[in-house]
Amino acid sequence: MSQPDIRKELQNAPVEPWLPIESKLVGWSLGIGLVLLAVLVLINHFVPVTI
Amino acid sequence: MSVTAESAPWSSTAQPAPWISEDWLSLWIGLGIVVLALGGLVGVDLLGWAVSTSVWIDPGLALGTVSKAYAGLGGAGALMVTYLALLAVLSAGALALNLDLKRFAVTFTAVFALAYASWIIGSFAYVAAVTPADQQKFGIGWSLKLTNEGGYVVALLAGLVIANFLPRFAEWLKEAVRPELYIKIAIVILGAFLAVTAAGKLTLASSILLRGVAAIIEAYLIYWAVVYYIARRWFGFNREWAAPLASGISICGVSAAIATGGAIRARPLVPVMVSSLVVIFAVVEVLILPFLAQTFLWQEPMVAGAWMGLAIKTDGAAVAGGGIAEALILAKSAAEGVHYQPGWILGVTATVKVFIDIFIGIWAFVLGYIWTNHINPTRDTDKARASEIWQRFPKFILGFVATFLAGLYLALGTSPEIAAKVPAQIGEANTFRVIFFILTFFCIGLISNFKKLWQEGIGKLAAVYLVSLFGFVIWVGLIISWLFFAGIKPPLAT
Repeated sequence: MSQPDIRKELQNAPVEPWLPIESKLVGWSLGIGLVLLAVLVLINHFVPVTI
Repeated sequence: MSVTAESAPWSSTAQPAPWISEDWLSLWIGLGIVVLALGGLVGVDLLGWAVSTSVWIDPGLALGTVSKAYAGLGGAGALMVTYLALLAVLSAGALALNLDLKRFAVTFTAVFALAYASWIIGSFAYVAAVTPADQQKFGIGWSLKLTNEGGYVVALLAGLVIANFLPRFAEWLKEAVRPELYIKIAIVILGAFLAVTAAGKLTLASSILLRGVAAIIEAYLIYWAVVYYIARRWFGFNREWAAPLASGISICGVSAAIATGGAIRARPLVPVMVSSLVVIFAVVEVLILPFLAQTFLWQEPMVAGAWMGLAIKTDGAAVAGGGIAEALILAKSAAEGVHYQPGWILGVTATVKVFIDIFIGIWAFVLGYIWTNHINPTRDTDKARASEIWQRFPKFILGFVATFLAGLYLALGTSPEIAAKVPAQIGEANTFRVIFFILTFFCIGLISNFKKLWQEGIGKLAAVYLVSLFGFVIWVGLIISWLFFAGIKPPLAT
C-alpha cells in the first residue's frame, strides 16, 4: 500500500467475532493485574518509604 | 519513523541490512560518551569542550563550555566542536546502519542547527527566567517562566511547524530524523546521571524501584486489557489492528506497537500507523501534562514524575516530559522557598518507563504464543518462540542498567577522592544527554504531520486513542501514581 488509505481499509475490513480466547486474555490480564496491584498497595501501606 | 531491524524482521526493502540495529548502536554510543566522561576521574578531561547553554539576555553570554578548563574555546567554538564530534560519531553510526552517509551528514547538520537554535531561544531570559530574582538579575519585568528546559518545547514546536507547513523540507531532512535513536542514547547516558543522584539516598531510590513494579502491572495487565477490549468491542477493530493499538496506547508507543505487530504477524503497515498515532498524542501530552503537573502536583513532585512515565507513551516524550515537569515543579517550589534536589522527579519518570520497557519482549512473546497457537494457528516454523523474548528486548536498556550500576559503584564503592569527582564528570556526559533530548524533541515534531495522517484515514484509530488515553490511561495513571508516591518528596538540595 504505497499511499495508505486506512479509512477505506478499516471500513471494508470484515467483522471478526470475539473469541473465547480473547475473553480469557482480557479477563485473566485484568484479574491478575488488579489482584497484584492490591497486593502492592498493601505492601506500600505497611512498608512505607524511608528516606 | 525509525524501525529497527530487530523489531521488524518481516520488512522487506531493497536496502542492504544494517550491520547493527539502532538499539545496539544507541547502547554503544551512550556507553562511549559515559566512558569518555569518566576520563576526568584519572585527570584526563575528554568532554569538557562540550557546549553548555545558560539562561541569557546578552546573546554573547548564552553559550560556553561545560568545563572551565576549555573556556578558551568560547561559546561559538564549543558549539562548533560539539557539532563536529556528534557529526563524526553519528555518521559512523549511519554507516553501520547502511544509511546514505553524505545525505545523513547534510541533513544532520540542518537538524542539529535548527534543534540547537531552538534550545538557545528557549534559554532566552524572557522565555526561561522563573523567579523574580532571576528576572531582576536579567533586568526584565516579565517572562514566560518555562525554565531553560522550555527549550524542549520550543524544539518540539519548531519541528511541528516545519512538518505541517514545510512538509517537503521535513521530508528532505528525513535521513537524520531518528528520534528513537537519539532518545535511546540519551536514556543510556541518563542511567549514570540517575545513579549519581540515587547514590546519596539509596533507601529512597530502592523504594522508587519497588514502586516501579506497580507500573509494569498497570501497563501490561490493566491498561492493555481495557484498551484491547475498547478497540475490539466498542470500535469494531479486527485483531490485527486492536493488538498493536492496545500495546501502543498502554505500554510504550512505538517499540511496543512494533513488537506486538511482529509477534502477531501483522502487516508492517499496522504498527507503523499506530506508531505515528502514538507520537502525535505524545506531542499533545508533552505540551499539556507537565504544565498540569506544575499547577496541580507541585506539592507532590514524585507523583508528577510517575504520572509522566505512566501517561506519556513514548520513551522520548515521557522522559523528556519528566524533565520539563521537574524543571517547572522545582522552579515553583523554589519560588515557595523549597529547594529540591534535581534529578529525582526525572528519575521516577525514567524508572517507570524503563521498567515498562523491560517487559515488552515478554509480553510480545505471550501475545505471539496466543496468536500463533490459538487465534491464527500456524505451522511450527512460524510459531512464537522463546528466543523472540531476547530478540525483542530493548537492548538500550542494557546500556541504561550498565551506566546506572557503573555510576553507583563509582559513587559508593571507590575512594572518597574519586567519588567526589564523579558528579562533575557525569555532568559532562549529561550535557550530551540534554543535546540528544533536544534532537529527540525536534525530530518528534518533524514526524508529526497532522494533515498527512488525517488524509491517510487515521481518524478511527485516533478516536480509540482519544477515548482510551484521555478517558482511562491518564487518570488511572494519576491514581496509581498517587497511591504509590503521594507524600514522598525528593531530598532537599544542599
